[in-house]
Amino acid sequence: MSQSETKVGVYVCQCGINIAATVDVEAVKDLAATLPNVAVARQYQFMCSEPGQEMIKKDIRELGINRVVVASCSPRMHEPTFQAVLKDAGLNPYFFDMANIREHCSWVSTDRAQSTEKAQRLVRGAVARVIWQEPLEAREVPVTPSALVVGGGIAGIQAALNIADAGYHVYMVERDASIGGRMAQLDKTFPTLDCSACILTPKMVLVGRHPNITLLSYSEVADVSGYVGNFKVKVKKKPRYVEKEKCTGCNECAKVCPVEVPSEFDMALSKRKAIYRPFAQAIPSAFTIDKKKSPCKITCPAHIHVQGYIALIAEGKFTESLELIKEQIPFASVCGRVCTHPCEDECKRREVDEPIAIAALKRFAADNAEDKPPAPVAITRKEKVAVIGSGPAGLTAAYDLVRMGYGVTVFEAMPMAGGMLAVGIPEYRLPKGILNKEIDNIKKLGAEIKLNSRVDDAGSLLKSGYQAVFMAVGAHKGGNIDVPGKDLKGVYDAIDFLRETNLGRRVAVGKKVAVIGGGNSAVDAARVAQREGAESVQIFYRRQRKDMPAIAIEVADAEAEGIKLNFLTTPTKISGKQGKVTELECIHMELKELDRSGRGTPYPVKGSEFTTEIDTVIFAVGQNPDLSLISGAKGYTVTRQGTVAVDQMTLETGAKGIFAGGDMIGSAGTVIEAIAAGKRAAVSIDRFLQGHDLKEGREEETLKASDIKVTIPEGTEKRPRMGMPELAVEERRSNFREVALGFTREMAIAEAKRCLNCAVCSECRLCETVCLPKCINHNMKEEVLELDIGAILLATGHDFFHAPALPQYNYGRFPNIIESMEFERLCSASGPTGGKVTMVDGRVPESVAIIHCVGSRDSHANSYCSRVCCMHAMKQAHLVKEKTGAQVYELYIDIRASGKGYEEFYERVQREGVLFIRGRGAEVVLQGNQLVVKAEETGLGRPITLPVDMVILSTGMIARKDSATVANVFHITRDQHGFFMESHPKLRPFHSNTDGIFLGGTCQAPRDIPDTVAHASAAAAEVLSLLARGKVTIEPLTAQINPDRCSACRVCISLCPYQAISLDGKDEKKVAEVNEVLCKGCGVCVAACPAGAITTKHFTDQQILAQIEGVLAR
Amino acid sequence: MSSKFEPRIVGFLCNWCSYSGADLAGTSRVKYPPNIDIIRVMCSGRVDPQFVIKAFEKGADGVLVCGCHPGDCHYAEGNYKAGRRIPLLKKMLSQLGIEEERLRLEWVSASEGERFAAVVRDMTEQVRKLGPLNRNGGGENG
Repeated sequence: MSQSETKVGVYVCQCGINIAATVDVEAVKDLAATLPNVAVARQYQFMCSEPGQEMIKKDIRELGINRVVVASCSPRMHEPTFQAVLKDAGLNPYFFDMANIREHCSWVSTDRAQSTEKAQRLVRGAVARVIWQEPLEAREVPVTPSALVVGGGIAGIQAALNIADAGYHVYMVERDASIGGRMAQLDKTFPTLDCSACILTPKMVLVGRHPNITLLSYSEVADVSGYVGNFKVKVKKKPRYVEKEKCTGCNECAKVCPVEVPSEFDMALSKRKAIYRPFAQAIPSAFTIDKKKSPCKITCPAHIHVQGYIALIAEGKFTESLELIKEQIPFASVCGRVCTHPCEDECKRREVDEPIAIAALKRFAADNAEDKPPAPVAITRKEKVAVIGSGPAGLTAAYDLVRMGYGVTVFEAMPMAGGMLAVGIPEYRLPKGILNKEIDNIKKLGAEIKLNSRVDDAGSLLKSGYQAVFMAVGAHKGGNIDVPGKDLKGVYDAIDFLRETNLGRRVAVGKKVAVIGGGNSAVDAARVAQREGAESVQIFYRRQRKDMPAIAIEVADAEAEGIKLNFLTTPTKISGKQGKVTELECIHMELKELDRSGRGTPYPVKGSEFTTEIDTVIFAVGQNPDLSLISGAKGYTVTRQGTVAVDQMTLETGAKGIFAGGDMIGSAGTVIEAIAAGKRAAVSIDRFLQGHDLKEGREEETLKASDIKVTIPEGTEKRPRMGMPELAVEERRSNFREVALGFTREMAIAEAKRCLNCAVCSECRLCETVCLPKCINHNMKEEVLELDIGAILLATGHDFFHAPALPQYNYGRFPNIIESMEFERLCSASGPTGGKVTMVDGRVPESVAIIHCVGSRDSHANSYCSRVCCMHAMKQAHLVKEKTGAQVYELYIDIRASGKGYEEFYERVQREGVLFIRGRGAEVVLQGNQLVVKAEETGLGRPITLPVDMVILSTGMIARKDSATVANVFHITRDQHGFFMESHPKLRPFHSNTDGIFLGGTCQAPRDIPDTVAHASAAAAEVLSLLARGKVTIEPLTAQINPDRCSACRVCISLCPYQAISLDGKDEKKVAEVNEVLCKGCGVCVAACPAGAITTKHFTDQQILAQIEGVLAR
Repeated sequence: MSSKFEPRIVGFLCNWCSYSGADLAGTSRVKYPPNIDIIRVMCSGRVDPQFVIKAFEKGADGVLVCGCHPGDCHYAEGNYKAGRRIPLLKKMLSQLGIEEERLRLEWVSASEGERFAAVVRDMTEQVRKLGPLNRNGGGENG
């Protein structure tokens, strides 16, 4: 249509006096009549009225008007009305524009002349724009006949039942373990005083049983895409670890669960177990395990259930504790003694006082559990596995593989099994008897250990009856020593020195011994030298004490035994006479820049050499694998560090069927890492032998301990860590008796009780042992469901204001000051006191003050009125009177009792003798042992003080803490208080700003139960109206690409938030193409296109530029 | 024309948050100077730099762009795009001799009628102080 044929009709609305009072409507009309292309301009009292609409239709028909501008209210109000007028008159509804001269003009100014000018400018802009507008066709798409209801409180329940009863399918997503929401927590409801649970639970049961409702409890909506009628919703189903269908709700599991945490349902007034059901009438009635992650478990290289065995010790269940440990590792006694316990470094108890003595507790369990030798495991697999090396890595792999049913042979070159555990760690730290018992248990299970059986060629084993080989020969070769005089007699390597003494061979130790190094081997060698008869033993270490890799307690023990530590020194020369060591020359060091380990790099201080009289020097400067042991094997590669190269996840070497782990692959060299490697290898070997993929589905722990946030329960008292009892220095320094004596039963239980239960569920598995239907599955994984949804109803509810934010009320500081929801639980027959209203000491209060508007109508908290608290407070006053007969004072600002039966209830509680004092409670203080409420009695105009036994703070309703996140997921907006924003405060109070998403209940604003139910049902009616229509019109405001101008630069593709643009390769020239179904018409791509190739329908550059020129024309 | 300088300001408001916010200012009868003419766009990310330049060219003394608060965008992230574009555009304008203060980007939610009015009041005063935009002289290339 060319512009010459364009005939614009302009209609200026008076809107009664809403516009006409401030804008000279006649003048606006007169100006409009002079504008180019305007064929007719009129003004009328109410353009939206029937006669107003007819006026437009008539002009279209009779004058041939083909563009329409209405200057009236906001297009958000009446654009659809007038578009329908055009349509009725046979004109495309997109040949229409609106000038907003009411909301944006007449209502915001009092200056008539200026407002009239402004209205004229807005009309000029609209006329200039409408000329360029193009005919568009709205798309009609079908509506998926199902609804999503988010939130299982009374609002969600009501709405879901309404929709389901009408015959449509409803998915109800509830974040908690049960539906019921806040209403389930209430005792009675005002003003009728009927029992909240009694009227709610039948509806909950209906939801649970309704054939049209799929209840997704313990689930959250993760993502919403699509558009009205056609949403795609991703729901994350959190693992319950209990099979919902099988659980009978018998409660046996909770009885044995050792972990207690504050009950959310009881407002932390009681405890619940880690396996729990929030309340007796929960729907679904199945139990749920509250399982998070604990820093100790994720830090442990072998991911042992640390919290579990500690929880069992705390319960006195030592045998069960040991069994839990042995389910994962064979070396409970060993680890309990020699583990470097990285878990303790990350223990959150550190934030209170000191970390839990985890390793010592493990030792306690191992030493004190009932002695049950294991029964042999039958060989059920035909494949056989060879393990080379009987250290912790090799034996752990053997332990796991035997338990899987494989035949396993362990080849050990030395005459003693245990690897470094046997020959590297001295007897006084790890008695041989203890180690041998654990090795014997592995043998009893069925592993064969061949001593004195050196394997020179791992590959050869594959040809002699073994289908897989795990190499774990450790690192039994000392580090390189580069000091003149190293070949003198009396110079040893610590690894050799410890091995020989451990094997019972005497090593000639002189009187004056120097040990070089700062690791555990150095400290061990020094203490062994002392026990072998040395008179003086000194350790020389090139860095500082805090940099020593040795376990701190071992260092302290060594010092206590008289070993001298020299820091920041390193040997430069060993001198001798007749081939024997006589003197050690050292030099002082200084630390400079930090190295990769975060420690200072040592540099020698020139000229600071000094000598010490010494006859024995032991070097403990690292250890390397002796790969000559397996030199015959082919296919694996050796790294520059002299270790075997493996895949870090699977421990596969380059040779098929050969795996390697432990010190020989260059791990950090701790026992627990070797054990972890053994476990890893066992999984890989099993997968390899069964022909499964070695990597698929193997999850690596990516979370770091520091990522875990643990809320330390209020009132956790400081209780320092239990110290380890030790042999007195005199009793130990000249023999090999075990130094650490272990905890007593009382010490162990007390120490175990310090655990903060970071992960809640400790994975002790006691619940499994008592569950008859066998419905507990600790390995359950999170599931993600994808749902096709036509309409969404949000009923996510509210939170309560928390009183500590207003310190004048001293909540949490003084006893017997409680929040209103806590009072509900106190009052409830199923609550922590069985429905008795009592004070902390168990006495019944004789006087109670209820303070209204805590956190509401308060410029220091929330400015709004929470609407329910007045009635709620009066109901509570009635309950206090009924249950205790106490004198009750209500301190209020205004009483808001506007509802059916509310005013009558107000009168009733007054008659019952409740005293109403007009004036906000200003402060609650403690005078002696007496709580005193201070307030102003505004009626009398003077301050008052009320001594009372108990104070109830009527805390207001606030938006959910995560309402911003939820709003983001659903692409809806929030009001200034965080509640979800309705589309119109009067006419669309249950519509969000996004089509197809509706709001029900307190997620939109505070309201009481009757109003919540009404609001939710109304929202359900909107959902039903959409679903019943079966189809929906989509505005055609999508982006469009002009292929002739597109240069395929892809800028738009990277900007589009909906992945709606792709490069189309159909033609010779590749150009970007818009998927109209995905495009939402935001226009971000249009503004960014450097070629000007994109435009959004109805918001083209031309249209907007014309409007700009229009409003600015003079 | 009256002797007192009345700035001309063009406002580009996103449909979902800011336009509704301006509507709310009206329904709440909050008063602000009539110097601003509002043009509706679907998203603040739709505001093409050429719109702003066109406005200054055709007689605007100031341009206001309003979008949803960060994290609240109806289109997920369009406002972030505006948040990156507008500062760049300001730099360019200052090279053309147009004071940066004449272009403003503000986040106004649908519930912030009061805030929208306050922004307009503030901006009108600011532009009034700057005086009329001299399109024929001034600036380093003027």
